[in-house]
This record gives sequence, C-alpha cells and structure tokens, in this order.
Amino acid sequence: MHIVDGALSEPVLAGGALLALAGVAYGLKKMDYEHLPQVGVLSAAFFIASYIHLPIGFSSVHLILNGLIGLALGWAAFPALLVALILQAVFFGFGGFLVLGVNTFNIALPAVMVYFLCRHGIAASSPRVAAIWGAIGGAGAVAVTTMMVAGSLALSGEAFWLAAKATLIAHIPVMLVEGFVTAAAVLLIRKVKPEFLHLAEDWDNA
Amino acid sequence: MRKLFVMLAVLFALPANAHNVVGGVYAIGSTIEGEAGFSNGDMASAGTEVIVTDPAGNVLMETETDEEGFFTFEATARVDHLFRMEMGSGHVLEMVLTAEELPESLAAGDGAVAAVAAAKKSDGKAVQYDDAAMQSMIEKAVAKQVKPLRKELRAFQEKAGLQDILGGIGYIFGLCGIGMWWRQRKQTQAAKAA
Repeated sequence: MHIVDGALSEPVLAGGALLALAGVAYGLKKMDYEHLPQVGVLSAAFFIASYIHLPIGFSSVHLILNGLIGLALGWAAFPALLVALILQAVFFGFGGFLVLGVNTFNIALPAVMVYFLCRHGIAASSPRVAAIWGAIGGAGAVAVTTMMVAGSLALSGEAFWLAAKATLIAHIPVMLVEGFVTAAAVLLIRKVKPEFLHLAEDWDNA
Repeated sequence: MRKLFVMLAVLFALPANAHNVVGGVYAIGSTIEGEAGFSNGDMASAGTEVIVTDPAGNVLMETETDEEGFFTFEATARVDHLFRMEMGSGHVLEMVLTAEELPESLAAGDGAVAAVAAAKKSDGKAVQYDDAAMQSMIEKAVAKQVKPLRKELRAFQEKAGLQDILGGIGYIFGLCGIGMWWRQRKQTQAAKAA
C-alpha cells in the first residue's frame, strides 16, 4: 500500500501533496478537540498495523485499518494518517517523504468516503446490520485504496489495469480480514464504548 | 486495559518484516554482481528488467534477473554505475556502484579489461601471476567471504525493533498531548477574558 520514492512522476507527487494538504487542513478544522485522544489512539493503531505482517500463503499482508479509522474519525482521518505515515517513513522506512502526500491521500480519502457511506449503517439498531456495514466499510476502504494506488501508478506511466489487477488480487485476503476486523471492532465498540464512534449522539438524535 | 497492553507487548515481540525493496551491488574485479528482493525474504521475480546507466544517464546495458534475483554486469569503464529496476506495484529499486569500487585497471573513460581478462586465463601456476591478476584474485576471494556478512548486515538494517515501535507510539501520544495542552491553554485564556 505504501508507494515508495522514485515510483511516481513529479506532477503526481505534487498533486498528491496538494490534495493531502487540503485534506489535512480541512480535517484539522473539522476535528472536534474532544475526540483528540481517539485520533491519537487510531493513529497509533495504524502505525502498528502496517508493521505486523501476517503470512498468507506465498506472501505476507498487513492490515491497513483505514475503514475503521474513517468510521471513527471522519475527516480527522487525514491528520491522523499523515502523522502515522510520517512516523512509519522515519522508523520503518515504509514509503518515503516525497510520496507522503500521495500515500496520505490514497489511504485517507477512502477512509473519509467510508465515513459518509457507512456511518448510518453502523449506527443501526440491529447489531447484525451494523456488523455488515462495518465489514463493507473495512473491505471497501481497502478496495478503494488499492484502486487509488493503481491509479497513481498509472498516472506515472505504469499500465493501469495491469497494476490494478495485480494489487487488487494481492489484497483480496486483506479485504476479507479487514472486513472481519472492522465488523468485530464495530460490534465490540457498540457494546463497550459507543462514544468512541460517536454513536450515542446518533442514537440520541434518532 | 492492562490485559490489552500485555497483548500488544506480545505482538510486538514477534518478528515482523517491513515490506520494502532491498538490494545490493558489489564489484568483484570488473564484474558487477547485484541482487534485488523484498525485505520479507522474497527475491525479485525472474526476468525483472535491470537498466544500467552511467551518471550522464546513457543506458549502458539492459539485463534481467535470474530466479534468485541475481544479475551480473561487466563494467568496461571506471565510472559510477546506476542500476534501476521496477519490481511492480510501485516498487522501484535504485542502486549506485561508485567508480572507486571498480579496479583501477579500468580506464576512466572506455577502457579495456585486457589485464583482468588475461589474468583469468592463466589459472595454472601461481608463479605466473602478475600484480593485476593477483589483485583480482584477492578481490574475488574477499568478495566471496564478505557476501554473507553483507546480507546479514542488510537484514539487520532493515529490521525495525521494539524501540522503533515504542518511539513511534510515543511521538503520536506526545503530539496528542501537545494538542490537548494547546486546547487547554486556549480555553483558560478564553475563560480569563470572559
């Protein structure tokens, strides 16, 4: 998921940086400071998730968690993911500094999309419906990120469908795992700490 | 909460690899040997294109990796060699072999490798070896010995440890702390002003 330095052309890098900057600025503006601890915890979760590789067959994958982060944070996913990506680049050498903008945008935008598409679903009164929406959010965010990664590579010259197919197929297990994890997380949080997903507010309004 | 921390601590202790591209190029006499792979231990797939250029960007040669991610290149000039390979899905590896690592017998421009080539043929009696041949033999022997060390060292460099993880989390929590402190200060000021 992390594109490395040197793979993308300058216009793509610049475009990604600008879009990510806009997203981070908007995210910081929209961020409710009462929820700052959540932003930190989820940022830390993402930071670690990419480090823990699960062996699957011939390859290894890692969780991305951007669906869950999007569901919990909305627009604040942008600053949260930017911080985590910077630290991953510094400590683990994932990605790089030039592609930071592109990577942030590719991972954070799907998170925000999931927020708007699946929020209603996870606030549903039936736990089963909520879990299904959580799974859709978790798997969907990974799928969109994959497409965006392929798109960034395509804009820099690599054949889109080839790259998209390769990364998409490689990430099918991730999508499945991510769907399960997000659904389980949604169920758990609904029971234990509804305020973490700001669910109480939705329930009050309903 | 404590249970969670213990669980996380156990998770951290498990060895995990960063999924990065890694590789190296080494000069053995005038032959440049290189390898490329991913930090999880997989080597580059066979037939990955390697483009060799000089500092000016002129393509010297295009070669391919074998099944083990290896490739070789015969240097004909004592200049910096740039190796670039695209390993798919945005994984690009760029490596440089500086001119200093190549034997002086190679001309700075486009020289001949006659001395080394001659030395390679005379593998009969030790007495016949001239200086250049001796040197290339020593280089070869040392390169062979050092190779596993290089591999180990690279693996070591790639491995992020517990400190890195704890450090990263510390930074994130610290940033949150700063954010909260900033917010607190604003609130206090607002309260005072009111």
